[in-house]
Amino acid sequence: MGKVNIKIDGKEYAVKEGEFILNAARANDVFIPAICYLTRCSPTLACRICLVEADGKQVYACNAKVKDGMEVTVNTPNILEERRAIMEVYDVNHPLQCGVCDKSGECELQNYTLELGVDSQSYTIQDTKRETTNWSSVLHYDAGLCIVCERCTTACKDMIGDAAITTVKRGGEALDKGLKSTMPKDAYAMWNKLQKSVIAPSNGTEFTNCSDCGECVAVCPVGALSSRDFVYTSNAWDLKRTPATCAHCSSGCQIYYETKPASIEDRTEKIFRVTNEWNYVSLCGAGRFGYDFENRVKEKDEKAFSKAVEAVKNAGTIRFNSVITNEEAMMLQTLKEKTGVKLVNPDARVFQKFLNAYSVASGQSLYSLDFKDVMATDFVMSVGSSLRNDNPNARYAFNNVQKMNKGAGLYFHPVGDNLVPTFGKNVEVFTHKVGLEEAALYLILDLFADESKLPSDVKEYLASFKSTSTKTVKEKVMKSVTETVVDKETGESKEVTKKVPVMEEKEVTVESNGLVELLGKSSDTFATTFEKMMKKKESFSLVVGEDLYFHAKAENIARLIALIETASSVSVAMIPPKTNSLGVALICELDDEATGSTVGYNENGDFTLSALGRGDLDMPSMNQQEGTLTNMHKRVTPTNAALEYHGYELNDIMKVLIDAPRETIDWTVKLPVTKGFKAVEFDSLPNGYLNDGTENRGYTLETVKTDAEEIAVEKVDESMVLDGEIVYRCNPQRQFNDFSDKAHEIFEAFGLYASKARAEALGAKVEITFDNRSIVVDVIEDERMEGDIVALSDFKSSQDVYALFGESRYKNVTMRKV
Amino acid sequence: MGLEQFKNRNVGTQNYTKLDVGVKPATSMDQFKQVVKRTFKGELFVGLWVTLREMVNALFLDKMHTVKYPFEKMPISPRYRAIHDMLRLLESGHYRCIGCGLCEKICISNCISMDTRYDENQRKEVTEYTINFGRCIFCGYCAEVCPELAIVHGQRYETASEQRASFSLFEDMLTPIDKLNLQQEYDGFGAVSPNADANIKKTPLAY
Amino acid sequence: METTLAGHAMETLPHVTWLGVLIKAVIILAVISAIAGFGTFIERKVLAFMQRRLGPMHVGPFGLLQLAADGIKLFTKEDIVPQNANRFIFMIAPIITAATAFIALSAVPVFPDFTIPEFIPLLGGTFVPSIAADLNIGILFVLGMMAAGLYGPLLAGMSQANKWGIIGAARTAVQFLSYEVVTGLSILAPIMLVGSLSFVDFNDYQQGGIGSWLIWQQPVAFVLFLIAGFAETNRTPFDLLEHEAEVVSGYATEYSGMRWGMFFIGEYANMITVSIIAAVVFLGGYSVEGIGWLFIILKVAFFFFLMLWVRASWPHIRPDQLMWLCWKVLMPIALINILITAIVILL
Repeated sequence: MGKVNIKIDGKEYAVKEGEFILNAARANDVFIPAICYLTRCSPTLACRICLVEADGKQVYACNAKVKDGMEVTVNTPNILEERRAIMEVYDVNHPLQCGVCDKSGECELQNYTLELGVDSQSYTIQDTKRETTNWSSVLHYDAGLCIVCERCTTACKDMIGDAAITTVKRGGEALDKGLKSTMPKDAYAMWNKLQKSVIAPSNGTEFTNCSDCGECVAVCPVGALSSRDFVYTSNAWDLKRTPATCAHCSSGCQIYYETKPASIEDRTEKIFRVTNEWNYVSLCGAGRFGYDFENRVKEKDEKAFSKAVEAVKNAGTIRFNSVITNEEAMMLQTLKEKTGVKLVNPDARVFQKFLNAYSVASGQSLYSLDFKDVMATDFVMSVGSSLRNDNPNARYAFNNVQKMNKGAGLYFHPVGDNLVPTFGKNVEVFTHKVGLEEAALYLILDLFADESKLPSDVKEYLASFKSTSTKTVKEKVMKSVTETVVDKETGESKEVTKKVPVMEEKEVTVESNGLVELLGKSSDTFATTFEKMMKKKESFSLVVGEDLYFHAKAENIARLIALIETASSVSVAMIPPKTNSLGVALICELDDEATGSTVGYNENGDFTLSALGRGDLDMPSMNQQEGTLTNMHKRVTPTNAALEYHGYELNDIMKVLIDAPRETIDWTVKLPVTKGFKAVEFDSLPNGYLNDGTENRGYTLETVKTDAEEIAVEKVDESMVLDGEIVYRCNPQRQFNDFSDKAHEIFEAFGLYASKARAEALGAKVEITFDNRSIVVDVIEDERMEGDIVALSDFKSSQDVYALFGESRYKNVTMRKV
Repeated sequence: MGLEQFKNRNVGTQNYTKLDVGVKPATSMDQFKQVVKRTFKGELFVGLWVTLREMVNALFLDKMHTVKYPFEKMPISPRYRAIHDMLRLLESGHYRCIGCGLCEKICISNCISMDTRYDENQRKEVTEYTINFGRCIFCGYCAEVCPELAIVHGQRYETASEQRASFSLFEDMLTPIDKLNLQQEYDGFGAVSPNADANIKKTPLAY
Repeated sequence: METTLAGHAMETLPHVTWLGVLIKAVIILAVISAIAGFGTFIERKVLAFMQRRLGPMHVGPFGLLQLAADGIKLFTKEDIVPQNANRFIFMIAPIITAATAFIALSAVPVFPDFTIPEFIPLLGGTFVPSIAADLNIGILFVLGMMAAGLYGPLLAGMSQANKWGIIGAARTAVQFLSYEVVTGLSILAPIMLVGSLSFVDFNDYQQGGIGSWLIWQQPVAFVLFLIAGFAETNRTPFDLLEHEAEVVSGYATEYSGMRWGMFFIGEYANMITVSIIAAVVFLGGYSVEGIGWLFIILKVAFFFFLMLWVRASWPHIRPDQLMWLCWKVLMPIALINILITAIVILL
């Protein structure tokens, strides 16, 4: 995007074109007061204190875009008067309980009250009682403290997509009409609204039906919203902030673990909460509330350690999952090179294969877009990912595109979902049959590809789906009718031409697309909606997920995706299945089959190393160790130890077996440069955001380019289609692995999630029989699900759900009520 | 003493009266005369008289100075910074501490810690509060910063103890509920200034 | 050495046996030691009262057992001998002080004589004299012994290899030279009047009631003797030897435990000796009849109290002032007093 020059308070700045004045100022470290505005969300205009003068006119900085040569004045006497009046109004009836408030001084109301020098109060109104309520198992809302800035509702709608909370009437005392003329205009308008409203769950009940991400808690400028677990337990200033990377999913969000001694009796450090840079990154519920998965180890167990060394030395296979740092993956790879031990990691293995097939076809080692880029596009498609459950950041991106970029979206997934359509009015959902992912990709090719770039066989194959038919449609046509009207007074006659709508029947040729029909939608209605969706769209993105990596024809799919990228303007972003699958896939040479005795690292095995505290040797969990993670934004981000750990770590074993450096983080420089990593010391990796939102965390992987070969793709294999009773391997929201399960604020249980109707039909408990064995699980109703496909959680490694499914996410099973 | 005098540190020039030491004897004769004069003037007996008088005063007129310390104690200044007391609200008897943690924060020897929680009445409850008197330097910041006049320096100045466990927990410092009527409002270090009312801008209350 | 009974009752009283003398000696040792200890308690109490304090209060009733507590403390404390000290002299020096103090008391009449009742086995019927050794040169012996007692501090200070001790020893010598002249000269005039050096003779000389006390005939000698007596016992205002503001503890700096305690006992025994001498020589001594023996106790008690009283009231003087006072003031006055007395006797 281009740059324009504006002047703020007489100083010249080059800012991004089309940006809001407020964001432009923030990017250049100029302070304009604002409470209700959230970067990355749409302006709410609730607080009105970002009032500035632009080219002689008073505008709201959060809402007015910069123009070339614009002159902005932040403070004028009139604006200052308005702002002061607004802050005074906010302070009317705001409880003076700052002493106990959880915000403990990090309060924007307090800051701006002091900033604007409010030392006396001119306004008064009778207060109405506002109840403190708990919205969900984690959300706590103190309405008395709420200033109705609507940041929570904005974040929930524009970023998260749940739109679970909204402003409702609260029946406050009406303002004195006389004030309208005496007090500043904006302050009056703000007060008028403030006095009438309060925040409440949008579904009309007392409880929110949302993903419990807690982003509303993070953005709340006052102490109105907090987590139920944290309320009144600690002051912000007592907590030590440790910047880290969330270890639950591949989003790899930047978080701060906030720690202090657990209590007066127990002086060991405990994580009290997780906070984030909410202007630049949004967390999910697992990231925010699933923090206490640490493995408390008091001392080194030398006996277990020597056994572990022996076990690893004699192991035929090391089985591990992707909740592991790059450094540890590098250790395992080095071990493999030295001893030839086999490395088994099912989720990273399929992703590795998929990525390899993609890079061979496309000529680049990594996918093109990160999810920041996805957020900047205005047309986003998702294939093969249960957006709501698989990856919160992908879902936030999909939602944000609809809300912020006036975007459109196509969502292809076999499992029905009633949340995704609410993201925006231009979202089309294809609930296709299991196994038709290839068809979805062919449809995207058909819709977006430049035909000249397509291989001829693909062109022919796509054409084979097209058929034309004639249809009679009723159409409204404007017809000109000429009448002669006689003016009654003057007697003159005049000819008047009018346009009159007339319904006409018309024969039209309709081109129908068999692919759309195959994917379960009516071809001609889709054609018209798609036409609407495509209006004013410039950038296109495709998000692909885990279903495709676990697809039987994954390689063909990978080539199809490469073809989409080369033949159209659609760019692709991939969701790695687990936390560090991308890192592991790049670093390790993984094996398919396990041989010999198995050492399991956080997995089942003959000898287990476990950060969950139930293995043969304890390992530090992710909040107890340093290292880097490779997230789905193709970024290598550092994470730090928030809690102490006194046991052995993987590097200690490596020190005995191979020539390992002293610390785990000494491996950071050794990460393979050929795969796109950089030889950078761990301690020099930054972990933060700049004022303009630039992500300054770790480094981005280099994409290695190679010569692309001719892409040969296969046709849709309709034999892949599954019918009958289907189970989908999918976790509930906020559950990703054993670690999120260990956290006490994550309540989602292991079980079989089903839509309301299906759950009723299945009863409380079912036995699911797979090819090899059967499993008995609880049936849990998920209001957001639709259709007959049920979802079985896989986060408990002890249940070994991965083995049940094998290299597939969908399975035909027989279910029996128990 | 007014502030003026208090601030003037040049005290030597103001408040001392100079003793008239008389003229130093110049010749031997003068010296001899001085000896004779001093010998027969009985100044030495004045000294003896003074001590005897004080003894009589002490023994028979009940003017003994000694305070039998552990058994009787002198009143101390309200500004004295002794062992902390946690006060209660006089009306309800509930402890005044709201658990804001300011004392914990300001404590320069880092000896205060507290545990709080969200209680059933939707209030912040102080579940435990300790001061490590082994570390406390009695600077008084905690009392000064307390917004509720909940923590004050009391009158207990015997801080020695055989064990750390004997140092105070919340209950030890809290005014016993049956002695609430004896609780004194604190006017010492950190108390509300006498002209506090005058410094406050009133908020309009139309209803 | 011939022992005689107290003057006029010679015929009626039984003979003095060696057993009686031994018993007397034991009594003197025991009682005076106890009184010396008790004296410390009295001193602390009197000084406290004069400063309107309570003094020791907590050990026993009115703090009476403080004495015992101090004794236990002194006995159980470690006896430290400094590395560079002359070990032998360092160790015997306190014994010199204590021994000479008690030896001096052997020639001083303490308590009236009595016969142990018959019913007590072994000792029954033994006559115990008022004076252990009624020497005919009693006064001379006592003064000589007390002067010899000064060797204690002198040797202690010189042997301990401590600069404060050395200064204390030097001051001892200074003081010794100064006051001893005055003591001798001041008591010479009463001796001239009485014509004897025996305390019994002095006592008998003054038996004619208060009017016959020597203090009326020799007031100047009395004052001089008193001043010299203060110096002899190292009491304020002449406590130069161990003045803590100047020389830490003077000759006693390096002493601890019971060795230090012996200096203390010696000092208090000396105080009692001087008090008895003053009472016998100038204030009529004791009377054998009735409760006359009680008066000597009162008189001794008065002098003892006077010493404490003075300590509470007066500041001490410098060594040079002491010498100036003794040599330039007191000695001439004493000489004049002797001269006048001699002239009066001759006339």
